[in-house]
Formats: sequence, structure tokens, C-alpha cells
Amino acid sequence: MANRVAIVGIGQTYHKSKRPDVSQPEMVNEAVRAALADAQLSMKDIESVFLSNMETFEGVYLPDLWMADEAGSFMKPGFKIASGGTSGAVVVEEAFHFVASGLFRTALVIGFEKQDAGDTTAAITASTTLAWGKGMARGAIHEFAKQALSYIRQSGAREEHAAMVRLKADRGACRNPYAHLKLGLKSVEEILQSEPLEWPLRLYDFCPQSCGACALILASEEETRRITNKPVWIADCITIHQETFRAGAFCDLTGREPYSQQVAATKLYKRNGITNPRRDIDMAEVYEPSDWEEMLLYELFYLCEKNEGWRLVEKGITEIEGEFPVNPSGGVLATNPIGATPTIRVAEAALQIRGDAGEHQVTRDVKTAFATALGGPNWTTMILLKRSL
Amino acid sequence: MAEEPRPEYIKVTYTKSRPYRWAAGKYLSKLYTEMRDNKKLVANRCQHCKELLWPPQMVCGRCKARAGEDWVELSDKGTVVQYTYVNFPLWDPHEGRPVKEEHPHATILLDNGIYWVTRLEEKDKEKLKVGMRVQAVWREEGRGRGLDEDILYFRTIEQ
Repeated sequence: MANRVAIVGIGQTYHKSKRPDVSQPEMVNEAVRAALADAQLSMKDIESVFLSNMETFEGVYLPDLWMADEAGSFMKPGFKIASGGTSGAVVVEEAFHFVASGLFRTALVIGFEKQDAGDTTAAITASTTLAWGKGMARGAIHEFAKQALSYIRQSGAREEHAAMVRLKADRGACRNPYAHLKLGLKSVEEILQSEPLEWPLRLYDFCPQSCGACALILASEEETRRITNKPVWIADCITIHQETFRAGAFCDLTGREPYSQQVAATKLYKRNGITNPRRDIDMAEVYEPSDWEEMLLYELFYLCEKNEGWRLVEKGITEIEGEFPVNPSGGVLATNPIGATPTIRVAEAALQIRGDAGEHQVTRDVKTAFATALGGPNWTTMILLKRSL
Repeated sequence: MAEEPRPEYIKVTYTKSRPYRWAAGKYLSKLYTEMRDNKKLVANRCQHCKELLWPPQMVCGRCKARAGEDWVELSDKGTVVQYTYVNFPLWDPHEGRPVKEEHPHATILLDNGIYWVTRLEEKDKEKLKVGMRVQAVWREEGRGRGLDEDILYFRTIEQ
């Protein structure tokens, strides 16, 4: 039986489109200090350091090379993860594996991205090989435009439903001191009138590019008891692969392919005795690059029946005050420093369990929550968190 | 009280251009030479599950086994399943220059049952329809670089 592991420290920077006032290492250091302060620890207490960043988005191949001091990793073990959108959750999973194995008692996890350094859509476009797909890739926006078209066709959802998801995200973001876009959106019409990006996606339907970092401190059970009386336990983690060629990216046109989300959720729920996720889990922070994708994710994580994700939105089930809140933080639609985006999902779900989310604390008591990530290679990562094990 | 001078933050900029050479490999090379020399699309059929693999490849992911080389010629006609057109400026990361994409992108279902993301010739948004029939327009002199070079786009056809 593996050792129990808890999150004992949570820290993040504020998020903005541009941070000309800090270098990438200086920005990372802000999150590290915030997490250490939250745990009331110093770097001397940290045995290992794990980083998440999509290298080359900022134009260099080894950004970790230049921040060993600011990240606290100088003369310590650990490594960096770069698995597209999932990086910031896979890194939590990997640190969890190391602490659960007993190899380390404490681990610092840092997700970061400084997107003011370059053109992220160009960087994502470069994920096609020169041998196949060049010229047909147009960053993440293209993939989620196709996803939205498929979702409209299959589920009967309308643009108004996507706009309602966007409004929900903005309401959360406006209550979250760390969120990037706080637009104060008032109506569905406002979103439907925003400028077109790629049919059928409009500017407000899609996530921004943010600068920011998020750090978590993981500890073994023994250390956890010494550090905090408000631990958030990592009950389980899973990552499932589904590279993009087969099913046509983030949607399945063939109707024959399972989604990585469904495979991940089925396995995670089964391993943890979850038979009805809407009842057995209290809230979720999911990785939704677009408002359309969030509705599909409700279905793929079995929060509702197939093709009924938009009905949860209509009924307000996933609002901060709802029966099953999703992304009260404002989610990816409000804040998206890619290497940190999934780390923030875990951090925000953990804050909800601790009751420390402040203005965007959900109405219902949160004992169990899950955080997810979705990646460039179409992986799904899920992390199940609990107040007590 | 004297105002604190605002620090100056320096930004260092550079634009890079690096040459790359990717090997297409055995399976894509077969497709690309057929496209270049014979204006034909080919895919390999998995010897176990009999699915067509697109793009052609060595391993069938469903069977987790060597797919084999049962090559099948595909139709260059198909049906538009969905289409999008882009409204934001794009940068080509491989060529290091802005992309001028005038053609809508579409997922089409080739008549042999393969889904493919490609370009449409038709630029008039009013004339784009899900379900419209299209056929490949081949470049006169093939270049052996696959989709981007040897098929220009798909043209709307009647049948």
C-alpha cells in the first residue's frame, strides 16, 4: 500500500496578459514564496522540486535551466514535465507518485507560463510534424472550433448555452482575486456579439493567454501531520492517452472511439467506489479551453447523460451556488498560463475543500472534488481530492 | 513627497529561423510518392482489425500490433462533414512568416470512409454546406510533399 500524500501548501501569482516587470524566473519565485508562506515552510523543508512548462512556447528549450535558484531546485532532485495542456496536472501526479512511493517526504510542484514572451498559437501550430499536417494546424482554436461544431450537431446545444457557460466563468473570475480576465459580462448577447475568431468560436468563447505561475507543496502523511491541520489529501490520480490523429482531435466524428476523459473517469471512479459522481463528489475544476468544451466535459465525466451537458447549464446546476459547482474560480476561460493552468485547477479544488476560496467559495460543503486537465496530445488527467481519507 | 522613479523594464526581442529536415518514413513516403507520381491517395489496412489507417502508419493503435502493408487506393472524392474559416491572424512557426490562409478548412469523409482535415476551394461562406460533395484538385507537377503541396484543395462537385 502506497503512502498517503496531501497538499499542504498552495500559492499562485496574479495573472495578466503581460508581465514586463518580471522575468520568467522572478515570476516563478512569486508562486514558490506564496506556497511556502501558505504552508509556513522554507525551502530547507522541501526535498524535491517538479516543474511544469510547455517549453518552446516562450522560445527556449530548457527554461528550467535558468531558474534553479528561483524555483528552489538547486542541488535537489526532480524534473520538468512538458505534455501540452496536461503538463500542470501530470506534474502533480508525478510528484504524488514520488511521495507516495516513500522516496521523498516533501515535493514542490510548480506550473508556469509567461505567454507575453511569444506567440502561443504559433507554438501550438508547430506541434504538427513537418512530415504530416503542416499547413492544416491552426493552434488550439482550430481544434476547439471543430469540437464546437461537433457538439452542436450531436447535442442540439445552442450558442446561447455556450454564452451562459462564459457568463458563469466571468461571474466566478470577478470573485477570484487571482483570475486574469474579469470582464463584468452582463448578458448572453454581449458574448454573441464579440468578434469572431474561427467559426463558430468568438473571442469570449475561448480562453486567454496569461502570464502566471502556481505552486503546490505535497507531503507524506507523517510530514503532513506536522505541517498543517487542514490537509487536502490526494486520493487518486490518472492519466489516459489519446493522441489526436485517430478520432479527429477533440471531438469524435467516427462515433467509434472512446474519449480519454471517459476512460479516465470510469477507471478513477471504479477505483474509488464512486458509483454516482454527481452525488459522491461535491464539485470540480475542469480544463475547459472553450465554453463549448465545458458542456461536453460534463457528459464525458458522467455528471449528466450524453448530449445533456447544456441542460446542466440551463438549470444552473454548475453555478457557484448550484448542486454541483464547476469552475467557480472562473476556470481556463478566465485564466490560462498553460503550464500552470492545470496546477491552478488542482489548487482551486483544494482551496474549496479547505474552505479557503474566499469570495468564490461554493455554497455547498466540499469534502470531495476532482480537478482535470486536457492536453495537446489529447490526454486526460484527473486528480481526486478529499478532506479526509 | 518626491515621487519614486518608475523602474525601466527592458525587453529583449529576437526572431528566429531554423532549418529542419524531417524524415517522412516508410509509410508516409509510400503515400507521398503515389500522390506525386500517380495522383493517387493510398492507405494501409490493418491486417488484424481491417481498419484503414490514416495517415498510413506502421502500428495499428487499436490492435497494438504491426499493421502490415495491405495498401488500398482511396477515392479522391468525399463529403464535407464540417468546416471552419479563420478570422484571426496566424503565424507559420515552421516558415517563420505570417500565414495567408484564404481557404476554409474542412473535415471531409472520403468515399472509402476516412476522415481528413483539408482545404476547400470555395471561399464564399454562403456557398459552404455540410454534406456538399467535393473532389481533390491535384497540382499539375507533383512535389512529393503530401497534402500541402500535391493536393491544392477540394473542389465542389455535382454528384
